[in-house]
Amino acid sequence: MNLEFNEDQKLLFETVDAAVGRGYPAGARGEATSTERGWNDDVWNTLAELGLTGLTIDGDHGGVGAGPVEVYATLEAMGKHAAAEPLLDGVFLPSWLIAALGTEEQAKQWLPALAEGATTIAVAHAEPRRPWGSAPSVAAAHSGDGSVVLSGVKAPVRHADQASTLLVTAVDGDTTGVYVVDAAAAGITRADGRSADWSRASQVEFAGTPATLLGTTGTDATAAWHTAVARARVAVLAEAVGLMESALGHTVEYLKNRKQFGVPLATFQALVHRASDMYARVELARSMALWATATVEAIDGGADVDLPAIADDAFVFVGDTATAVAEEAVQLHGGIGMTYEAEVAHHAARLAAITESFGGLAAARRRAVASESALRAPSALLNNA
Amino acid sequence: MDLELSREDIAFRDGVREVFTREIPEDIRRRNALSRTTHDDIVTTQRILNAHGLAVPHWPVAWGGKGWTPTQSHIYASELQRNSVPQPLAFNVSMVGPIIAEFGSEEQKRQFLPATANLDIWWSQGFSEPEAGSDLASLRTTARREGDVYVLNGQKTWTTLGQYGDWMFVLARTDPDAPRKQQGLSFLLLDMTTPGIERRPITLVDGSEEVNEFFFDNVRVPVENLVGEENKGWSYAKFLLGNERNGIAQVGTSQRVFADLAEAAAGIPTESGTLADDPQFRTSMHSARTTLLALEATQLRVTGASENGQASPVSSLLKMEGTKALQELSKLRMRAAGDDSMLLPPDGDAGESLHADDAATIAAAQYLNQRKLSIFGGSNEIQRGVIAKTILGL
Repeated sequence: MNLEFNEDQKLLFETVDAAVGRGYPAGARGEATSTERGWNDDVWNTLAELGLTGLTIDGDHGGVGAGPVEVYATLEAMGKHAAAEPLLDGVFLPSWLIAALGTEEQAKQWLPALAEGATTIAVAHAEPRRPWGSAPSVAAAHSGDGSVVLSGVKAPVRHADQASTLLVTAVDGDTTGVYVVDAAAAGITRADGRSADWSRASQVEFAGTPATLLGTTGTDATAAWHTAVARARVAVLAEAVGLMESALGHTVEYLKNRKQFGVPLATFQALVHRASDMYARVELARSMALWATATVEAIDGGADVDLPAIADDAFVFVGDTATAVAEEAVQLHGGIGMTYEAEVAHHAARLAAITESFGGLAAARRRAVASESALRAPSALLNNA
Repeated sequence: MDLELSREDIAFRDGVREVFTREIPEDIRRRNALSRTTHDDIVTTQRILNAHGLAVPHWPVAWGGKGWTPTQSHIYASELQRNSVPQPLAFNVSMVGPIIAEFGSEEQKRQFLPATANLDIWWSQGFSEPEAGSDLASLRTTARREGDVYVLNGQKTWTTLGQYGDWMFVLARTDPDAPRKQQGLSFLLLDMTTPGIERRPITLVDGSEEVNEFFFDNVRVPVENLVGEENKGWSYAKFLLGNERNGIAQVGTSQRVFADLAEAAAGIPTESGTLADDPQFRTSMHSARTTLLALEATQLRVTGASENGQASPVSSLLKMEGTKALQELSKLRMRAAGDDSMLLPPDGDAGESLHADDAATIAAAQYLNQRKLSIFGGSNEIQRGVIAKTILGL
């Protein structure tokens, strides 16, 4: 039993921490998200050179085939600097979907390019005013010549403006599939906006847009989709932990340095105790995120555990903590914490974007509470009943 | 990472579990689960554990310790709690025992340690005073040296289970002129049959009498009952506070309380079904469940860090969040019982027909009693201060 990084994983964290830290001095998230790309290209290239864009892609397809702990270490380090590069949304999640559903030919077509960092792929599932867990309303239709076209609206689609390709969930009769769409295909109308965390997001409308099914016809993608998304929901918690730790660090420094009534804010016990509570919550959240990560690793090793249920439990717990920590970080900074220049403002915005990602926290809680596991006696170890 | 116990760890767990479930009588464990443990339950349990070498595993090996790994210590504490075994008396095994073993004379070790391990001596803690709670170092009880005795005068309070105490370890002021209040304190061992001691029980909000006040009027303590050096008592007390943090979060206890409540819920009717189907109840339970997972994972991290020889500064976190979780569960148990928790038996034996052993009946009283968790052993406000100072540098 062990929830620690091994030496290689420690080194990975330190490497990403150092590399991303160089590209993200104070205030850099605002600058990075306001570039045309929406992130820092130099940092992206460094990540690619370090092989991190190939982290989740197997060796046969140009990646390094690392596991969930390496994903955790990478994303926690990214979160620590509030970095905006879309490793998870633009590379990891699409790679999991392609590996799970795609044919070998499709894997060969897309995975090496992702691994190189030469491209990103946007995953389009959310639809306006439609529950994340419902079947998509975007529909696939077959033309006479055997080709497939999609119609309907997806929004928000994160980083769609930079993606070369979209992976779009759609229904074909009763069957849900994931479809590959070229970002420049005919019949696509894109309205670009931004997420609350200042990263890019778009509404994408398909009108008879040519598409290719990921995988082979007749296979329902629902289970594989849920598994890949559950993996992503666990992975994003690592970023949340990094963001929370950083927000706490900034808040502690602010309490030490900011003076009112002629004394540092740290003189006031009411404020200090709130910082202590933030610390306690962050550490519990870190434990939960590490535990969920270790569980995914065990599942990859053959353990019979319900990954989406684990992801719901962890997402709810860490998400609740993220909200509380972000609120306290802003509140303890006072008005300055709400400004675009303040780092904790970006932490808070990104944490809010995380809690509402992948269908959001409330939906995760609804599923978890309805699940039979809600009343099952908890045990963090897999063989300690 | 690895979420499985090793084969050796499982064998170890099964070994201690076997003793806990086979050797400790079922009725003792049942009473303990309902917080109705008696004096005899505690003594019987500790002697059985001691006979199996499981009462003082964390003591030095020369005095009955086992030299376990951090993982084994974690499993031991967790299994005790999960199986509702009354804990070995903390005053003996976690407090005075380790202090005597570390700082006591050879004569004191021989006189006290075996009897302390076997609960032949029941120890009480003489630390807190009416004017010295969280601010323990401001205590006023004096021990004035007169020849070969210290003459003890003053008052101690919150003495848990002091009504059973054969001996008390007392922190008293031996040098009233010391420049700092932490200096000039000494750690004395007091035979409770000594003349001049008066006990007054304190009745708690739930009706329990588990704490007491003690008054000392010219109580004469032989100087050989000084532990370590005169005026060094504070450093020994601090050693104690840093000692034995296993099980501090009581996650095993909370896991058991959770399982009991989840099982009971299916039999508690609501207007539309049972409590087990009630969305509000399920939401609260899910929240408790994830908190317990996070707490257990935190314990695993701490255990793993100490396996690698690193001290972890998070015992304050575990104490604070662990007790909050257990308190929350006691509140959920009361909510589940509703006004079924509002007819308690009268004091004494007359109320047996009122099902005093029923978890619902005692739920409200237990909820009230559990408020102590965030107050004793360093209140949660003290823990926040420790976190701020030692971890955050505030």
